[in-house]
Amino acid sequence: KYIELQVTENVYDCEANLAVLKLYQFNPSHYQTNVTIKILLKAIANLPHPDFSLCKYLIEPDKLREEPLSSVVALGNQLETCDFEEFWQSLASTKSSIPAIGSVVGFTDSVRKFICHVVGISYQKIKTDQLCRILDIKRDQLAVYLEEYGWKLVPDDPSHVFVFNYEETIKTRNISEKIGFPQVKQLAPVLQNAASDCHKRAK
Amino acid sequence: MTSWDEKVGGEPADYGNAVLSANGSYTILPEPVKTFLCNFEAAIRNRNVYDIIQCYEAQFPKLTERFFAKYNWPATQVVTEIVSRSLGGKEPDQLFVILYTEMYYKHIYAHIAGGPSFEDREASYFNYCDFFNFVLGTDTPVTHELPYQLLWDIIDEFIYQFQNFTQYRAKLKNKKDEEISTLRDSVTTWNIHSVLNVLHSLVEKSCINEQLRELASGGDISAVAGEFGERQLYKMLGFFSLIGLCRLHCILGDFFQALKVLENIDVSRLDLYCNVPTCNITTSYYVGFSFMMMRRYEDAIRTLNDALAYHNRVKSSLAGRPDVADYVAKQTDQMCHLLCLCLSLHPMRVDEIVHAQIKEKYNEKNLKLSRMDLDEIANTFQYACPKFLSPVPPNFDLPENYQMNPMRQIKEEFISEIKQQARIPDIRSYLKLYTTLSIEKLAGLMNTEPQVLHRELMCYKHKMQNIVTADAAAAAAAEAPTASSSELDFYIDGDMIHVADTKVARKFGELFIRNILKLEDVNRALTRLDQFIYGVAAGEAGPQAGSARS
Repeated sequence: KYIELQVTENVYDCEANLAVLKLYQFNPSHYQTNVTIKILLKAIANLPHPDFSLCKYLIEPDKLREEPLSSVVALGNQLETCDFEEFWQSLASTKSSIPAIGSVVGFTDSVRKFICHVVGISYQKIKTDQLCRILDIKRDQLAVYLEEYGWKLVPDDPSHVFVFNYEETIKTRNISEKIGFPQVKQLAPVLQNAASDCHKRAK
Repeated sequence: MTSWDEKVGGEPADYGNAVLSANGSYTILPEPVKTFLCNFEAAIRNRNVYDIIQCYEAQFPKLTERFFAKYNWPATQVVTEIVSRSLGGKEPDQLFVILYTEMYYKHIYAHIAGGPSFEDREASYFNYCDFFNFVLGTDTPVTHELPYQLLWDIIDEFIYQFQNFTQYRAKLKNKKDEEISTLRDSVTTWNIHSVLNVLHSLVEKSCINEQLRELASGGDISAVAGEFGERQLYKMLGFFSLIGLCRLHCILGDFFQALKVLENIDVSRLDLYCNVPTCNITTSYYVGFSFMMMRRYEDAIRTLNDALAYHNRVKSSLAGRPDVADYVAKQTDQMCHLLCLCLSLHPMRVDEIVHAQIKEKYNEKNLKLSRMDLDEIANTFQYACPKFLSPVPPNFDLPENYQMNPMRQIKEEFISEIKQQARIPDIRSYLKLYTTLSIEKLAGLMNTEPQVLHRELMCYKHKMQNIVTADAAAAAAAEAPTASSSELDFYIDGDMIHVADTKVARKFGELFIRNILKLEDVNRALTRLDQFIYGVAAGEAGPQAGSARS
């Protein structure tokens, strides 16, 4: 029931969901496919966190390999490997066969949020066409997303979207060695002796 | 399996020298063993922790090696008789009886060929129940004091025997029918729920979580400890139970929970809490493994690195305990394997000494791992992973060997995760060679389409983002701080990839300083030697010169 609540209210409680899966692990007779599908979908919606992997560890492999879980797993894997265009295609085709997908409120929004996150960490500038393709949106819907993430269309070049100025943050760094005074302090007596020896010999 | 019961029970107290009879069992109890038993009982009764440590850590292994390398120790009833007689008819301390029985069964698991029988396993389980009832079943805390090593060993062995039993229960192939029906009927023995219940009760009774939170925030522990938690026995049992829970969740496949139970403990400073080396090493192993499974590679590497450095430091103190040496060596080896695996997925700087160790022992393996040799990865994983368990009994009607199933399941998932990361090392090695690189060029080098390459680069970035917070709860939150700590970083600008590499200059300073100081020491030693030799020579020359003159 808590799962249903999460699904309809668009909230997410990772621990509770994992606890349900554990319950199924301890009592295989209580296993319910529908609930498991919803848990997996919520986990996918929480990417980039590894919740999806964690869920998979707790579910029996036989169940994961057969329908309907296997399609859901495939969707998850496509997102994990950033195969976004494939993902939208698969989603369209499986939506009809697995009604649960449609019932998870905010699923596609969460997925788009994840995709934007990945784009945000990878790109300084990305082709607008490419961006629309991986987000599965039309050009005119783009404005909303640009607003949300503070991205801008490049002023002279509307075919590119400017994401973030990484030139300052990601730079080659040369970490050179700094010998601090405390370290040299250890040598002080040695150097003193050496110096006085030199003096003696010089005389 | 030979035992004493028939020979010794009920005979008058005549403990002369041991006599080995034809069938290999002692007919009379050797004198040192009897002394040990009485001393041990006295130490427990008198709450003399130092003596308990002596008996448990030094004398027991020595006597085992000398007399009981292949045979059982005497049964509990016999021992109770002997000690009672030496006390003039009084009952020996109850805790002593329970602890002795625990050591008796531990010995069977460890040293007797063929391992424990089902009856042994069941009896051992009931003995643990006795122990936990003794400790938890009272309204007021017991007044005994026990050394930490002993407490840790009890919890550790408890979980180990549970693990062992579950594996044993799952191996149905070669069992006889009566055995299978006994297993089917014994629902309560080594039941997962009881095991979890015990550990949770210990945690609750000792209020250990509250105490740890107070400790972390610098508050007053005694204010939250409660009646039971104030006593060291309960506090440490609570602490070790947390670690036991971590281990249990890990072997059941729930890595999130495994890390969550330790949320109040700072895993990088375990030696602050207790000084039991085996506990610290085991904890680091399970924590490191859980981090790795949760794709928190940076944390995993750091934990494993610290653990291996710690092990180097305490190696000498463990040398005196041959009974745990094997176990620790195996776990350390497993940790090295895990570290190699993590480093191949997420190259990072590690401690110099640890790095040198790994390079020495596992150079070939590292080469194969870095090339994403899936077989090598699978083998390494299988060697390094803990023995996973399924919490439910197997299907008794279909006698097969099920014990490997949980392990296979987790391994498969892990390998599929690795396959998703398969291209990353290649990308990394190409990126290392350039500061800027066009997508097309890289696509050409890697034999893919630019489209596909965009996807793979995003995948690289996604996988290498680690959650860098020690707090498990915060990690689960939506806005957990993430960072890519990979030394090699890049961003894509339209069609160009800009690469940033961190070059760390070789550190000469420390080496020079160390060697200068060493040279100085050598010089001083030589000067002293010099003076000594010439001093002696002058002394010798003196009388000679004197005699020559005279």
